[in-house]
Amino acid sequence: MTAAAVTSVRRRTPRATSAVPLNAARLLRVELRRNTMPLMLPLIAALFWFDSYRPSTGTSPLYGLRTYWNMGQGHTILDFGPFVAGVAAWMGSRDGRRGLADLVTATTRPRWAAQLATWAATALWAVAAYLVFVGVMFAWYAHQGVAGTPPWWWVAVGVAAVTAFSAVGFAIGAYWPSRFAAPVAAFGGFLVMFLSFQTGFSHRSGWALILPTNSNGSFDGSAQTDAGIFYPWLPDLPIARILFLAGIAVAALGLTGLAARAGGPWLRRAAALVTLAGVALAGSAVRMVSTAQESAQGVVIPALHDAANDAPITYAPACGRAAGVPVCVNPAYRRYLPDVTAALTPVLAEVSGLPGAPTRASQVAASYPSGGDGPPQPISFGSHPPVLRLQLGLLNTPGPCGGCAGPVATTSYEAQMRLLFAHAFVGAGSGTGSPVQQAVQAALLRAAGIPFAAQPGLIAGTENFPESGPGAATGPVYAAAQRLAAGPAAARHDWLAAHLAALRADRLTLQDLP
Amino acid sequence: MNAALMRLERHERGIHVVRRVNLVAPGRNREAVGEELIAAMAGGEHSAVCHTFSERNVMNVEIGDVTRRFGRTQAVAGVTLETGPGVFGLLGPNGAGKTTLLRMMATVIPPSSGRLRLLGRDPGGYGPRREIRRRLGYLPQNLGYYPGFTVAEFVEYFALLKEMPPGRVPQAVATAIERVDLSGRARTKLRTLSGGMLRRVGIAQAIVNEPELLLLDEPTAGLDPEQRVAFRALLRDLGERATVIVSTHLVEDVGAACSEVALMDAGKMVFMGTPDELTARGEGTGAAGDAPLERGYSAVLATARSNTAAA
Repeated sequence: MTAAAVTSVRRRTPRATSAVPLNAARLLRVELRRNTMPLMLPLIAALFWFDSYRPSTGTSPLYGLRTYWNMGQGHTILDFGPFVAGVAAWMGSRDGRRGLADLVTATTRPRWAAQLATWAATALWAVAAYLVFVGVMFAWYAHQGVAGTPPWWWVAVGVAAVTAFSAVGFAIGAYWPSRFAAPVAAFGGFLVMFLSFQTGFSHRSGWALILPTNSNGSFDGSAQTDAGIFYPWLPDLPIARILFLAGIAVAALGLTGLAARAGGPWLRRAAALVTLAGVALAGSAVRMVSTAQESAQGVVIPALHDAANDAPITYAPACGRAAGVPVCVNPAYRRYLPDVTAALTPVLAEVSGLPGAPTRASQVAASYPSGGDGPPQPISFGSHPPVLRLQLGLLNTPGPCGGCAGPVATTSYEAQMRLLFAHAFVGAGSGTGSPVQQAVQAALLRAAGIPFAAQPGLIAGTENFPESGPGAATGPVYAAAQRLAAGPAAARHDWLAAHLAALRADRLTLQDLP
Repeated sequence: MNAALMRLERHERGIHVVRRVNLVAPGRNREAVGEELIAAMAGGEHSAVCHTFSERNVMNVEIGDVTRRFGRTQAVAGVTLETGPGVFGLLGPNGAGKTTLLRMMATVIPPSSGRLRLLGRDPGGYGPRREIRRRLGYLPQNLGYYPGFTVAEFVEYFALLKEMPPGRVPQAVATAIERVDLSGRARTKLRTLSGGMLRRVGIAQAIVNEPELLLLDEPTAGLDPEQRVAFRALLRDLGERATVIVSTHLVEDVGAACSEVALMDAGKMVFMGTPDELTARGEGTGAAGDAPLERGYSAVLATARSNTAAA
């Protein structure tokens, strides 16, 4: 030690009020440089890859489906949250564990401010990593040609969740400066996520919608596939969740400022106010989400809803032709247009020229009926002249399929579309249809290349199709269908031209068939 | 009034040592004490510190009948102490209350009762407490460290927590590290340092803000003999400008570096004076100890304990 080496001039340390922000920035820089969070990122990256990214690749290349698992069900949050809570608890307990609490307390800067700098560095690392991981995932999706708009609002929910986990974990560590604080906080975070998943599965509305892992009403239902394609992602529910998570974060950080050593009385009073503000914010968010209603575009929260978000996204459709009928789809579905036209060509050819036959086919946004009106109708007829309305978002598109036994084959997709077309054409609606409607449906399918023997299996395997069909292919319905299909196409065409209105009005019986 | 006393009066505003000596040794002749002190100041072995007596016009530490309880345990029981610039040694056995007294002086814990003024301010108020902390350096007994930090980062971290002006921080950090002879290790992570080096890092963080009041709890623990010698020189240098209170078990540190010394036992102050006076208390008593100061230490403790037992 060199006592004489430095003969510094005695100076009274000046107050540095104006330099406080710069001072705090330098403190944050030191904390960022020596934070534990980066050490945990490789593990989180591996988990993110296996849990968030990989399963998503097994779904259709539409953002609504591709991100259903990782954003809608909150798996990105699951991958980050418990680890972030653990690391934050480790950092929060640092001064106590390391025996530095006295030293930090004896410095000018209030201990709460020093703790907030430590937390901020931890949270910044975690949030930055979350954004990078999700950003890379979305960039990879874009490279894969995933169509639609990324769910940016749900990314913001993830950021808020990661921040909340870090704040709560930090508070645990600050109040319990033990080496066990980190594992306990991490396990607690995992438990919270698990309970959140379970609650999300059983509560499809009400307060439980606030949970960031509850995909009901946000990704499920009408908005599952076509959000960001036909309509913007509705921000109502994400905003409520962000408010909720921000409230939790603020309350947790406020709690750390309540400790006796945190600072002066004014600071501790401010911390108490911050805590109360956080609790109030989270409570308000829960109250707001309890008023949520499901609409065709997603969840609407009246207090947060902006009608401007209901405006559909304008687009130039991608069109093709099937049996001379124009078939147009949203450009996000452009890759499926050949499959759609190929599927519709034989059935459209069969009904071409009939008075109720469609003059064009257009894709519309997927929409689930409300009030228990039966399953949705992926294909329906509407307006004059008749237009075939295709809700392609309700069908499992060819290729990878999340939640299916395996990838959807093009032939299967085409067969399902033909079935749905025939079902809609005979006027069966959302029910199974009358026997004669079932028979005509079967005959049309037979004429479109689907043998009678394969039809019961097709009906059973088609998503959103009424469960009870005409039964086994040997029943009376199929016997009548065989009679209709056995005749020449012109005779069938003539019979349909004469009886289509009555058929759709359900005024015919099987005996009326030729 | 004889010459000695007149000289003493001339220094009265600054020489609180005399008042303390009188407190602990009320029976002694004030003139004789004054002569002893002035002689010691004139060119004794503590002249490096003692020549600053002329600067001692401020009581940086004023403690009046301070107590501190932890539940049923009374760690500090009515301590009174005043001191200004210079190096003040605080001796005492384990559990004597030295660390608790230092923690109170470091504004980490408040006293249970009594009067405490530091640097002319009452640390009970938040504003004054912050001002005290701005001018305070503190090395706790059990200094922890952040293993991932480098030496420079650790010292910088505490410079920033002490709200030093950002523009001064880099130079102050470099200076503090140089003073503890760790310049070559500035970029070394703390986890790789020896216990003695970590102690020096702790000293560096304590002095980085050029404190007016420096509290060092067992600062030489873990230092090798060479470093302890150098540290005593640093202490004397620091004592030129600041009030340095050193709590230690090592009486030789006190003898070499401190101008004043107090001895605590069972939460009470049982001796206050100069190291020479402490040495003198051991002469001819047959008290245990390898060095004169140690014998004085043992003798004072023995007397205090016998008095307590008798009471």
